[in-house]
Amino acid sequence: MSEDQDKYIAEVVEKALRGDMDAINNIEDRVTRSKAKAALIKAKRLSKTAAAEAAPAEETAQTDTTLTEKSLNQKVAEALAKKFSGSIDSEDVNEYIQLNGKNWFEIAQYLKDNPDLLFDSLQCITGFDFGEGEALEVRYNLHSMTHYHAIEIRIKTDRNDPKVPSVEQVWRIGDWFERETYDMYGIVFEGHHNMTRILCPEDWEGWPLRKDYETQETYHGIIVPKVKEGWE
Amino acid sequence: MGILENKFQDNVVVASMDKLLGWARSTSPWFFQFGLACCAIEMMATAASRYDLMRIGMIPRSSPRQADVMIVAGTVTMKMSLRVKKLYEQMANPKYVIAMGSCATSGGPYWQYGYHVLKGVDLVVPVDVYVPGCPPRPEALIEGLLKLQEKIQAERPLTKKIA
Repeated sequence: MSEDQDKYIAEVVEKALRGDMDAINNIEDRVTRSKAKAALIKAKRLSKTAAAEAAPAEETAQTDTTLTEKSLNQKVAEALAKKFSGSIDSEDVNEYIQLNGKNWFEIAQYLKDNPDLLFDSLQCITGFDFGEGEALEVRYNLHSMTHYHAIEIRIKTDRNDPKVPSVEQVWRIGDWFERETYDMYGIVFEGHHNMTRILCPEDWEGWPLRKDYETQETYHGIIVPKVKEGWE
Repeated sequence: MGILENKFQDNVVVASMDKLLGWARSTSPWFFQFGLACCAIEMMATAASRYDLMRIGMIPRSSPRQADVMIVAGTVTMKMSLRVKKLYEQMANPKYVIAMGSCATSGGPYWQYGYHVLKGVDLVVPVDVYVPGCPPRPEALIEGLLKLQEKIQAERPLTKKIA
């Protein structure tokens, strides 16, 4: 009996080392199960010391692969350059991918539907103002629930006539994100079904988060930047 | 009460109509139930069982037509200021306003740079009592309500005002 048991335990521990913990957890007999667990811990400790001895060689091997392996950004940029030529603005794609807005709607659809990318979630749209005389920018943070990876897309647009294609039809959350960006920066998203302000009143003047914004003096006869006399 | 003293049976109280009206109004100032920001949480706590606004005759009403007191509890944005004004205009006379918290009294933390915040609700509607605090505790709000009751009681609605 005990020989059979030893054999069985060895078998189960091997399974568990390969990642199948259920093999141990499903043992009915409590004593056998605890013995198997003890054996597993022993086996792990043994393999750890063995791995520590072999570690230096392994480490160098790993750094080699990361050098040769392409990052996600590079992969996406290459795919876009192949499919939508002339849409990428900057060569440097290490942190983000700079697009010029051309074909952005089609690119967005491609990013969402391509089985290798599957960016099914638009996490955020950010507006950005570089200051007087400079361009405005829109930044998209995309994330894939399936592959668990993320990229950032940036699109620059002219300050005096800011226009970016809308991706509201690709990611539904883009509806409100784009309206908020429009509200704060005045960037018009072409193709949006309802491009109106979302937070400020509809008849508000100016774009509050632009660097050259100046608050209007009155709103429907109410003083806006009021500093009451004799209060300070 | 001078000449009327001891002229009636027991359980009869004699008072001037002015005082009676003041007393009736001050002991049942129903308030308009709406909150704009974090102050509304304190207002809700004040109305709930621990502080129990009902014991000073205050019942929350959901319509401005039925309310006597508007407690402006929270940050009034420019967008909301027009609505607050409209709600105040919809209330029936006599009506009173309490500015609760620093946002409603002066703009609060948005005093200097908040382009979207009304710098005090008194720019839009006349305020009777200011309750400072950010947000004020229920005790502070109740203090403000008692002050308002005093104010209402001191009113003489029937006395002709000499201009």
